[in-house]
Amino acid sequence: MIKLEKINRAETLRYLGNSSASVDGRMTALLDKCEGELLGALNIKYLYKILPAKDCPIIVGESARAHLEGCDRLCAVCLTLGAEVDKLIRQASVRDMAEAVALDAMASSAVESALCELDEVIAAESRGSFLTWRFSPGYGDYPLELQRELLTMLDAQRKIGLCADDSSVLTPSKSVTAIMGLSGTPLEKRRQGCAVCNMKEKCKFRKAGTRCEF
Amino acid sequence: MNFNDLMKNEYILLDGAMGTMLQKSGLKLGEIPETLNIESPDTVIDIHRQYLEAGASIIAANTFGANGYKLKNCPYSVDEIIKAGIKNAKEAVGDRALVALDIGPVGQLLEPAGSLSFDKAYDYFKEEILAGNEADVIYFETFTDLLEVKAGVLAAKENSDKPVIVSMTFEKNGRTFAGASVRSAALTLSGLGVDALGVNCSLGPEELEPIVREFTAWTQLPIFVKPNAGLPDPNSNEYDVSPEQFADCMDRLADLGTVKLIGGCCGTTPEYIKKLGEKIKNKTKSNGDHIKASKKKFAVCSGTTAVELSEPRIIGERINPTGKKLFKEALKNNDIDYILSQAISQVEAGADILDVNVGLPEIDETEMLVRVVKALQSVVDVPLQLDSTKPETLEAALRIYNGKPIVNSVNGEAKSLASILPLVKKYGAAVVGLTLDENGIPKTAEGRFEIAERIVNAAKAHGIDPEDVYIDCLTLTVSAEQSGCRETLKALHRVKTELGCKTCLGVSNISFGLPNRPLVNHIFLTMALEEGLDLPIINPNDEDMTGAVRAYKVLADIDKNSTEFIAHYNDVKTEKPVIRSSRITLADAVRNGLKGEAAAITEKELEKTDAMELVNNELIPALDKVGEDFEKGKIFLPQLIQSANVAQQCFEVIKKNLAKTDAQPVSKGKIILATVKGDIHDIGKNIVKVLLDNYGYTVVDLGRDVAPELVVKTALEMDIRAIGLSALMTTTLKSMEETIALVKSTKGLEDCVFLVGGAVLTPEYAAKIGADYYCRDAKESVDAAKKIFG
Repeated sequence: MIKLEKINRAETLRYLGNSSASVDGRMTALLDKCEGELLGALNIKYLYKILPAKDCPIIVGESARAHLEGCDRLCAVCLTLGAEVDKLIRQASVRDMAEAVALDAMASSAVESALCELDEVIAAESRGSFLTWRFSPGYGDYPLELQRELLTMLDAQRKIGLCADDSSVLTPSKSVTAIMGLSGTPLEKRRQGCAVCNMKEKCKFRKAGTRCEF
Repeated sequence: MNFNDLMKNEYILLDGAMGTMLQKSGLKLGEIPETLNIESPDTVIDIHRQYLEAGASIIAANTFGANGYKLKNCPYSVDEIIKAGIKNAKEAVGDRALVALDIGPVGQLLEPAGSLSFDKAYDYFKEEILAGNEADVIYFETFTDLLEVKAGVLAAKENSDKPVIVSMTFEKNGRTFAGASVRSAALTLSGLGVDALGVNCSLGPEELEPIVREFTAWTQLPIFVKPNAGLPDPNSNEYDVSPEQFADCMDRLADLGTVKLIGGCCGTTPEYIKKLGEKIKNKTKSNGDHIKASKKKFAVCSGTTAVELSEPRIIGERINPTGKKLFKEALKNNDIDYILSQAISQVEAGADILDVNVGLPEIDETEMLVRVVKALQSVVDVPLQLDSTKPETLEAALRIYNGKPIVNSVNGEAKSLASILPLVKKYGAAVVGLTLDENGIPKTAEGRFEIAERIVNAAKAHGIDPEDVYIDCLTLTVSAEQSGCRETLKALHRVKTELGCKTCLGVSNISFGLPNRPLVNHIFLTMALEEGLDLPIINPNDEDMTGAVRAYKVLADIDKNSTEFIAHYNDVKTEKPVIRSSRITLADAVRNGLKGEAAAITEKELEKTDAMELVNNELIPALDKVGEDFEKGKIFLPQLIQSANVAQQCFEVIKKNLAKTDAQPVSKGKIILATVKGDIHDIGKNIVKVLLDNYGYTVVDLGRDVAPELVVKTALEMDIRAIGLSALMTTTLKSMEETIALVKSTKGLEDCVFLVGGAVLTPEYAAKIGADYYCRDAKESVDAAKKIFG
């Protein structure tokens, strides 16, 4: 069970604009309010499954193969913040868009924090193995449509209420699917970064000469 | 053996898990379990036989995931797989047990959480039900979305005459993943006429106990319980409760209320069922109290929240265009957000239920009511009262409503009774009965009572409980006929005490034509409450009215220890916003997000300045400055939006002012906004909407997942030539392209101008698909609008 005590402010602010602005009292009050609401709505659920990498049907395309190079197993994961978060953002969209935008950014940050905790869980489970970082459908040439396969394999609808729709959009929306490689021997350090990112041509951070720190 | 005979038994043993058994038989990863019905029937038959030998009386065929969506890439059709599945089960059990057509969720989330429509879900279920016509029972299981299973139950009822049993999956907190509560499930499914209902999967028997108890309090139907064999290990998937522990625990659950059908879900095997069968063999309910079903509760509900009519409840009346210029304008412009904001403010003010009326001669009422009900249920939790004079409109809304609603209304006319009551029964709703008929409203209390009695009797004849009928004895204007008020109250008292039904009453008519109407209204409301009014229909935003109900509950000893009253009034701030400094300008207010101040300043300014001048010389430049700050990275996005919201407050004041003087609303041009087909991420589009709104453009917001045809239709009907489209996913960019192509190829729309945006869009791609303006962010969409409209 993963429970977040707080939301990463710095990351939230980064999502809310590539801004050098200082955070004033109005902004702090808004973020405090949203943080309280969001923490109350979180219902973090996850599933994972460790599989042999050989002939695994969910390894499709060059990027995924390259990512798993040197790995004898892989771990398929999915995680969701739950349906209440979507509802909270929908309600805020009607009441006050400023709040909706802040909640949306905070929720995205919460997904990332929750995934980091899940990494710990998996690392503990697979003690003695070395793990790659998470690689999601949609990265490089790893097809977005594979979300559905991953979810079916993990029985995600029944177990945690997570589905994909016809456009491979995850529902609830604040959710992630990914694979990680596992190896018995240390892996060559491969950075996740701009090179494999689909957003690299249009990323506002890169345009401004910075990085998103992902 | 048939289902009804079987149900006469004290307990009925169901089977255990199919998936667990198939995995043990070597089901491969990624393989669709239902294909085994055709490819390895012996495996499936053997599992059914094992459960039969263990003592199960109802065997679920291996058809759980056999729907058109999940089998899309499967070599066999739904019909083939289901027919084979039922055949295998029949072959295994002969006439020693019944065979159930097992139906699970479609595999996609329904709107609003996902993009699957109610009708599409219905079609998937219908296909399964037709294919499974050899089964003895239809069994819906493992559902988490109450609306989805409602689509299933309707498909079953409308396409077969078999018994229907339904179970949903709850988490420890008593809710499903989609947020449905036990009481909402019990009320809704009982109303739809299922034969048994209950809970399966997700938890072990121990953890399910509070949920089963809650079921026993909210339904009198037979309840069934199919827990998992405890909780699974997240990786190994091993369950932690042994067959013996399972049977012991289930033995205790079986004593509760109307629990009758028991079996197992994930992790259970024939051994679990066998042990369970031994335990309940010859068992009778151990405690006499438990045998009696609990006292029936009368309530209405949404998918998440039940409102029990055990005390006065407020029905908010504000979602109704009658006499409301801005509301009518909103309906004509498809401005659903306006209606939603009305809903949220009523709920915040204390409404327990909301009346929803969108009848306007110029619009398609059926389509609008369906849209509004869906939108309302995506943001508010309170139950709704569906208000229309047209049976076909009511039925369309009843179908897609999540929960048990109120129908407003039926009256004493034979035609009305014959057209409305069957709908109320079929969809398991409650209904408002107006005490009038073809001869009008009787003058006397006796006349109205007589009609009320007629309505309640007709309802009974249709199988509707009197407590689900809410009689409205009708308020007449006291200034026109002073004795009328007494007659209404007298009728109300008799109806409440003699007919066993509930009562509702619209209150504010009473004071028409008198000075100090609020005073008269709230005294009348108090009198009516004392005569037994259950459901006052009022404007909850009128603090005196809502307060009267709260105070009444204290004085009538309903609000014990005045808990709710104190909780409410202890932290109510009664002060109104004041201008903190007279030196604050409109520009300051906009820049600093000072909502209350800005409205007050606007009102003041309007006394001496022309509205358009104020918009063009003060508001817009102030917004421009904020927009510039955002572009330069001096402020964050929420601050830009807050400023826009403040400007919106100013516009509201200006609009109201113009409505008073009957001048044309300020509009600098009309723009359609839509998130394209297949895409349900609409936050970016909503930000654009706020900004465009506040720059004085009229935005027609078509929402998300919008079909290209709807864009074309709206552009033609409302004569709009500027269209903004958003798409967030690479997979939905195609829809953007298709929408532009369809619009531009439509006669009369060749000159439409497109502004487009979305995370994965690039200027190059925008140009390639024929968009006129690529907008990097919301601010740029305003720049584009300025260029388009000059």
